[in-house]
Amino acid sequence: MDSIEVKGLKKYYKVQKKEAGLAASILSFVNRKYEEVKAVDGISFKIDEGELVGFIGPNGAGKTTTLKCLSGLLYPTAGEIKVLGYTPFSRKTNFLKQIALVMGQRNQLWWDLPPIETFILNKEIYEIPDDKFKKTLDALVSLLDVTDILKTPVKKLSLGQRMKCEFIASVLHSPRVLFLDEPTLGLDVVMQKTLREFIKEYNKQYKATILLTSHYMRDVEALCRRVIIINHGKLLFDGKLSDLVKRHAPYRIVKLTLQKNIDESLMRGLGEIKSFTYPQVVISVPYRRISDVSAKILKDLAVQDLIIEEPEIEDIIREIFEKGKS
Amino acid sequence: MNIKKYYLAARNTWDETLAYRLNFVMWRVRMVLTLLTMYFLWSALLLPGGNILGYTREFMLTYILGTSIINSLVISNRSYEVGEEINNGNLSNFLLRPINYFLYQFSRDLGDKAMNIVFSFVELTILFIILAPPIFIQTDSSLLALTFFSCLLALTMYFFLNFLLGLIGFWSPDVWAPRFVFITVLTFFSGGLFPLDILPKPIFSILEFFPFPYLLFFPLKIYLGQLVMAEIIKGIMISSTWIFVLWFIVKFAWARGLRLYTAYGR
Amino acid sequence: MKEFRKYIRVWWLLTIKSFQVAFTSRFGVALFVFGKLFRLGFFLLFLVIIEQRTKVIVGYSLWEIILFFATFNLIDVFSQFFLREVYKFRWYIVSGDFDFFLTRPLSPLFRSLFGGGDPLDIPILCLSIVLVAISVINIGNVSFANAILYLVLVANGLLIALAFHIFVLAVGVLTTEVDNTIWLYRDLTQMGRLPVDIYQQPLRALITFAVPVGIMITYPSKAILGLLSPQAVLISFIVGGVFLWASILFWRYSLKNYSSASS
Repeated sequence: MDSIEVKGLKKYYKVQKKEAGLAASILSFVNRKYEEVKAVDGISFKIDEGELVGFIGPNGAGKTTTLKCLSGLLYPTAGEIKVLGYTPFSRKTNFLKQIALVMGQRNQLWWDLPPIETFILNKEIYEIPDDKFKKTLDALVSLLDVTDILKTPVKKLSLGQRMKCEFIASVLHSPRVLFLDEPTLGLDVVMQKTLREFIKEYNKQYKATILLTSHYMRDVEALCRRVIIINHGKLLFDGKLSDLVKRHAPYRIVKLTLQKNIDESLMRGLGEIKSFTYPQVVISVPYRRISDVSAKILKDLAVQDLIIEEPEIEDIIREIFEKGKS
Repeated sequence: MNIKKYYLAARNTWDETLAYRLNFVMWRVRMVLTLLTMYFLWSALLLPGGNILGYTREFMLTYILGTSIINSLVISNRSYEVGEEINNGNLSNFLLRPINYFLYQFSRDLGDKAMNIVFSFVELTILFIILAPPIFIQTDSSLLALTFFSCLLALTMYFFLNFLLGLIGFWSPDVWAPRFVFITVLTFFSGGLFPLDILPKPIFSILEFFPFPYLLFFPLKIYLGQLVMAEIIKGIMISSTWIFVLWFIVKFAWARGLRLYTAYGR
Repeated sequence: MKEFRKYIRVWWLLTIKSFQVAFTSRFGVALFVFGKLFRLGFFLLFLVIIEQRTKVIVGYSLWEIILFFATFNLIDVFSQFFLREVYKFRWYIVSGDFDFFLTRPLSPLFRSLFGGGDPLDIPILCLSIVLVAISVINIGNVSFANAILYLVLVANGLLIALAFHIFVLAVGVLTTEVDNTIWLYRDLTQMGRLPVDIYQQPLRALITFAVPVGIMITYPSKAILGLLSPQAVLISFIVGGVFLWASILFWRYSLKNYSSASS
């Protein structure tokens, strides 16, 4: 069953334009000029129940706007959205009870009070029965290991601790659909890993549909089998992460450590030389030639070490965006 | 001293104000509304030929309309931001730069005042055409000069008072509560609501030794020609004394506060 | 009914929270309460002085004028007590907290309007009620029917106040500017501290019906003094209803154009 269905989604904004200077200020006071920004410009996709999908794009690509449309914050300029069979913008109580939106570095916790107070408020808002509330809270608290900070005022917590509590507050009502916007932003490596594992676990236990945006490719690689890539409000790729590598990066990276310095021209025929700083050589080799080339290297060149790698996801994605630009 | 940066600071307040168009229009509408409320109240209370303690209808309406101009010259300010800037750590930006914070804030105030006076004149002209109120015009040039001079004193005094309130931010995150009390007291005791001398004599004679009456009431009394020279000199003496006292307190508090300043912000 | 209980409980939790936050600063609380009492006391003194100098103000006696003023305070403080959250709305919009209001199964309008009662308003609230009672007693011979009418019209006035606040929120959603709009509302209602009869036409008609400060504040007192015609009562309710209805439509319109703070 489709949990999320988006057809031809568009969201345009009007942005005010103004030049510098006093004269321009006065002019713009009287006669304002607007420019239309196409934040999302005709996107369609479907997500099955229980899927964990990575949503990727550079800053300003339209990721957050899409998430906001999906969670019912924004009224779409055009297109159709169904989430769990509901139209998000009508914000029906039953719809809202089944979703959650988490935004990194945004705070829904009460700043001056301990996190437990926010949890209690959310219990009332989502009408969670007492016993279920207690059970879920206990499970989440032990999973994220935050027992000892529940009664500490939020302003005294570190960013990582706050983010953990933020997550608890957001999933207390066991949402079936989770929208995560840069959930690991600004956190250290250990905390990123903890949250990643938490997201994975949540996805597995509750069969929840999760749509995640992140700047850290590690997040996406570790969590998502499927990715959706957008730029300038348009969809560039939608499919398995492994297909992305196959389709957009039909090459492998060969890393050599040479025994003695040789001339660069000797290696020209092997593939595209990415870098050459003796004794390290990095060569990009087309996928289908990889066995020939490696055999040739071992035969012709005196090498100490040879490693064949898949290209980094980050590089592939950068290439896609750069291609899109030209 | 490089005056250009302070000129720019003043001019930036114009840019800032104009950027928030709706806010600015609302602000002016509010000024006109407050003025109209007072105007209609007094024109209902003082019918033609009436007289309350020496105020004819003509004098009273002049007084009310006059407060609105002097208000934009004396009271309008930007330096209410001082307390917030201390609290959110923005003050650091100024401490790190070769700029005098007092002059910077004063320039911003002047920019704000200039803007308000321009608009105040436009609005008053329109109101004059519509309402055609009976107005007292002072023709004695020495009284006009004294009115202007007392306004300058008032403006300086108000800047120090206001700045001092902002400095509370060094000691407490609650900068709004004291300002609220200040504004409330100011509304009544500066004479913006009514001429202070209609108050009972004992209250009025105590009030004379506080800074408040010299902000609006005193300049207008000079304009209306209701003070003799000895009273004018006494008033100028009192307000000058206050300016010196406040100046010293501000300097002292600033020096003390900077020692406590934590550049704390979240 | 279950839904209603949920809202009451949420409101109660929020109120407790705003009490907790308010009392973290005793200094601030004391100053705010003092400021409010000072303002009330001094305006009363001002009324007494004027009355002494002029005997009657546009045909009303001192106690009648005080009743108008007390009713103004009652409606003003009552709406502030409940609707204090509106004053924080700009921050919610700018910081993006409003996004959280929208993604929860709780009416965002409810959450933006009623964020918990403000404890600082309680002293003035009590004082206004006492002041209304004292002035009514001093005026004397008030019929029971008129007293009931007074209460109903005060309730109608509160609905108009609610509508005003919804307008302010909607403007906030559209422009992210709240402060001056809410202060404009405050200034407008302050014109009702005295009976609107003091204003000349056409201003009087304008602030009675179009910007219904007169209906909101002056009419209840007039009703208790027996000075209000049945037609005027009827018009009051119609204006109140239309105002509330229009403000809700405007709020819905504003949500459609909400553009959410960019992250």
